[in-house]
Amino acid sequence: MKIYFKSLIILFTIIFTSCTDVIDVDVPTSEPRLVIEATIEWEKGTTGNEQLIKLSTSVPYFSSTTNNIVTGASVKITNDADDTEFVFIDQNDGNYINSSFIPVLNEAYTLEVINDGETYIAHETFVPVVDIAEITQTREDGFDSDVLEVNVLFDDPEDEENFYFLKFQKEGDILPELFDISDEFTNGNQMTIFYEREEDEDINQEEFEVGDVVDIEFYGVSEPFYNYIRLLIEQYESVGDPFSTTPVALRGNCTNPSNPDYYAFGYFRLTEVVKANYTFE
Amino acid sequence: MNKQKRKKIVLLFTLLASLILSAQENFTVSGTVKDASNGETVFGASVFLKGTNIGAISNEYGFYSITAKKGTYTLIVSYLGFSNTSQEIVLDKDQKLVFEITESSTELEEVVINAEESERVNIQTPQMSVSKIKVETIKKMPVVLGEVDIIKSIQMLPGVTNNGEASSGFNVRGGASDQNLVLLDEAIIYNTSHLLGFFSVFNADAIKDVKLYKGGIPARFGGRVSSVLDVRQKDGNSKEFNLTGGIGVISSRLAAEGPVFKDKGSFLVAGRSSYAHLLLKAAGEDNSASFYDLNLKTNYKLNENNKLYLSGYFGRDSFDFGNSFESSYGNLSGNLRWNHIFNDRLFSNVSLIYSKYDYKLALKFFEFDWVSSINNYNLKYDLKYYFNDAFKLDFGVNGIYYDFDPGEINPTSETSAINPLKLDQKRAFEGGLYINAEHKLSDKLTAQYGLRYSTFTRLGGQPLTDYENDLPVVYNNDLGIYEAGTEIGETNYKKNETIKNFGNLEPRLALSYQLNESSAVKAGYSRVSQYIHLLSNTNSVTPLDVWTPSGKFIKPQLSDQYALGYFKDFTNKIYSLEAEVYYKTVDNRIDYIDGSDLIGQNTIETEILNGESRAYGLELLFRKSKGDFTGWLAYTISKAEQRTLGGNAGGPGINNGNWYKSSHDRTHDVSLTGAYKFNDKWTFGANAVYQTGRPVTYPTGQYQYEDLSITSFSERNANRLPSYHRLDISATYVPNRKPENRWKGEWVFGIYNVYNRKNAASISFGQNRETGANEATRTAIFGIVPSVSYNFKF
Repeated sequence: MKIYFKSLIILFTIIFTSCTDVIDVDVPTSEPRLVIEATIEWEKGTTGNEQLIKLSTSVPYFSSTTNNIVTGASVKITNDADDTEFVFIDQNDGNYINSSFIPVLNEAYTLEVINDGETYIAHETFVPVVDIAEITQTREDGFDSDVLEVNVLFDDPEDEENFYFLKFQKEGDILPELFDISDEFTNGNQMTIFYEREEDEDINQEEFEVGDVVDIEFYGVSEPFYNYIRLLIEQYESVGDPFSTTPVALRGNCTNPSNPDYYAFGYFRLTEVVKANYTFE
Repeated sequence: MNKQKRKKIVLLFTLLASLILSAQENFTVSGTVKDASNGETVFGASVFLKGTNIGAISNEYGFYSITAKKGTYTLIVSYLGFSNTSQEIVLDKDQKLVFEITESSTELEEVVINAEESERVNIQTPQMSVSKIKVETIKKMPVVLGEVDIIKSIQMLPGVTNNGEASSGFNVRGGASDQNLVLLDEAIIYNTSHLLGFFSVFNADAIKDVKLYKGGIPARFGGRVSSVLDVRQKDGNSKEFNLTGGIGVISSRLAAEGPVFKDKGSFLVAGRSSYAHLLLKAAGEDNSASFYDLNLKTNYKLNENNKLYLSGYFGRDSFDFGNSFESSYGNLSGNLRWNHIFNDRLFSNVSLIYSKYDYKLALKFFEFDWVSSINNYNLKYDLKYYFNDAFKLDFGVNGIYYDFDPGEINPTSETSAINPLKLDQKRAFEGGLYINAEHKLSDKLTAQYGLRYSTFTRLGGQPLTDYENDLPVVYNNDLGIYEAGTEIGETNYKKNETIKNFGNLEPRLALSYQLNESSAVKAGYSRVSQYIHLLSNTNSVTPLDVWTPSGKFIKPQLSDQYALGYFKDFTNKIYSLEAEVYYKTVDNRIDYIDGSDLIGQNTIETEILNGESRAYGLELLFRKSKGDFTGWLAYTISKAEQRTLGGNAGGPGINNGNWYKSSHDRTHDVSLTGAYKFNDKWTFGANAVYQTGRPVTYPTGQYQYEDLSITSFSERNANRLPSYHRLDISATYVPNRKPENRWKGEWVFGIYNVYNRKNAASISFGQNRETGANEATRTAIFGIVPSVSYNFKF
């Protein structure tokens, strides 16, 4: 539902867009915090053995530093049912790798990260995803009936609550476009998520053209992750929107049990994923 | 009822009895005060006996009643901007007198805000924290795009602010906009804005006067904890038919009024419509925004003692974005009133009122529509008894039945992926019973004391979710966040069943002590409860925010306000100074947990916690109300904060349970407004405003996640937008006209925000999609806006 209303708010915002400009603002800076990007994904049809976890720290808001990787941490994931441990090897570039991970759908796992004497713990369940039924292109749908959009269609299972996370990235773009989806208002129906681009000279963005390629990643996610990513996307996309919700601290599932205020940013999630790409014809 | 209370009531009756007995020797003169030019009844005229302290102020229907000892007096009627009218009376029997007062042509320029200012009475009356603005004053203020705007005008008063140009409503003494009771001819108006806050819903041509109570809310009002904005429509010219209207950049207006029913009544019909959308359509633009409204009023005098009034309002906004979506919303209200004068001292009025706000949305590309609404039916009976000069009593009863329809979703095509859904409809009844005395205790000391008993019953006819341990929100200790409680079932309440009952005693007290002829100190205390709440977790209130009643999980808000003031007139009442300090607390103010999702939410209770707020400040108002130059300077220094503890939900609370600045907090607020009459043709006006920036939450860092730069935030509202300031000017030109010519026209030229300051309505932070770098984006609604409009009267 949120996404529909989000679109609405964006449209309301059109009225105001002519009144925006980029300015210099002094913002406060808080202590750096550990960021755990533990995205365990299992692409359908693969073994899912190769997994990567990234560790970094937060930096001041306007800083362009990228030298904030965390090395020397110990990282492991445990399968809660059989206590199998998967240790992730430090690559000294902020990446930690394990090549023998065994993914089991609907199984509970625990992540443990030890860095600088602090221990971070996260629990999550491996969430499956349905197949993409179809990927189409249209002009008449979407916000603007003259503009090309790509549509991802899938069938939502009726007998359960489902949450999805969808990523689109046009080849050549540096940033992906994220969508959070819940079946709250659409349970059991075929759902269509479209991605359309408006022309925007400020950021040098053009409408889709024939020949453009879009990478698509479609994840099934847990309800807590959905709540997290929904808020993350909402706050990420609130730029220039006077009706946006008051921003709040975003907390993931990586906790620090002995020092609760020193929790980590980021999220530990285990998700099945369908990857595809689409070329406009 | 406990013993204590019973004792108090017995005491009150004894007091009343003694007053009635002591009044035996006296006679009463009563009647109505009217404007001679159009027959409109005058609210707030002072009627008094020359050389005595005895007097009264005409009420909303122009009625007054004065009781004095047998004798010969000179009765004077005075009302600012009007010539004093006097008449000799021999008071040897009860009598009726209708006064028609004439606008004083030489004092036409006297644009003043407090029409109740009038001889001793203003200083004497214990009522404080109130401002009355005549529509003439509002019309002279410079405004954006030439659209006369009542809501924007009251923001020039001390203690009144809002969130900038594109925000709905207004904030009084640090309160939220849903804490204002906005009444249009007694009907509750739920949304005061057109075009998302650019303009207000009140058409100035149809309005007679506006009164704002910022505190010291009289016992006859209840239901909102911050303020009461009492807007009254004109009755319509009962002398002759005329047309008024105006042509502006955004909208045009036309109002017709005149006598009807063989001079037994009058009517007013006023319409206003924007037309920018027509031009956009003509220019081939798909997107458009527009609004219109319609005001109606008519009255019929049955006889000397009985008069009927019928008033109505209908306003609508619509947005149309090509083939993407259509949205429309608006208020509808109607009020049928019966004024009955029992005798020369007992005035009564019965009102039957209906009002509604609804919001509609059709999203074409998702193939569904959405409708939400709030309806209420209100029956009110108010009486005023003028015992004698020293004692007047107001009392009455009212009942409001509410119907909340928080939302209904319907697919609009076979292929729509949306399932139909109706959020639970909610119903409630709000009752009120009040008594209030205005009591002159001595020549110097006047008191106003009253009591309101309010009740609220949340009615059944809906299921309610049951939660484990009765906790709809719980603190997740592991993750350090608040989240929805565990649902364990559902209880179905039948239509005649009560879900939850509330009752509150609300004492109201005000005292005025006159230091000398021209100055007084006043003090007041009031307790007010509020049972319905507007749910909004956004920076600005939006038209799709829904109202929700108190009930099992949402408690009524209770406010206590203390105020102390000093009031002084200078130099023959040309200047006046008002200084007030206030301290206000509100219990059970709703706050939203981090990540709350309110849209299409059936179980609102899982997204909120009950918190508290407090506000205090000093307000100064210095004004000049006579002469070629009139205007005022208002300054407020204040603080408004809120706090929400975890309570039963556990955990530290929202924002770690710390007090934080509410978004309506403004440390400094300075408003200067003035009008200068240069000659008979030209009048100039100016506004200057300075405000501390609105509290907002700025980023405290960033990190990489999902290939994006994610902003981190910490404490709520710990930062502020840059300060807000601007200057507006206007000039009114009245062309030459022959005195016998009925057509009167005037041109109004205005420049809003003369020095083109880009006041930030918001500053948001995000990643530039082309470069990937973080940047701060400012949204500023209006730069410099020149305008011209033409107004006429025929």
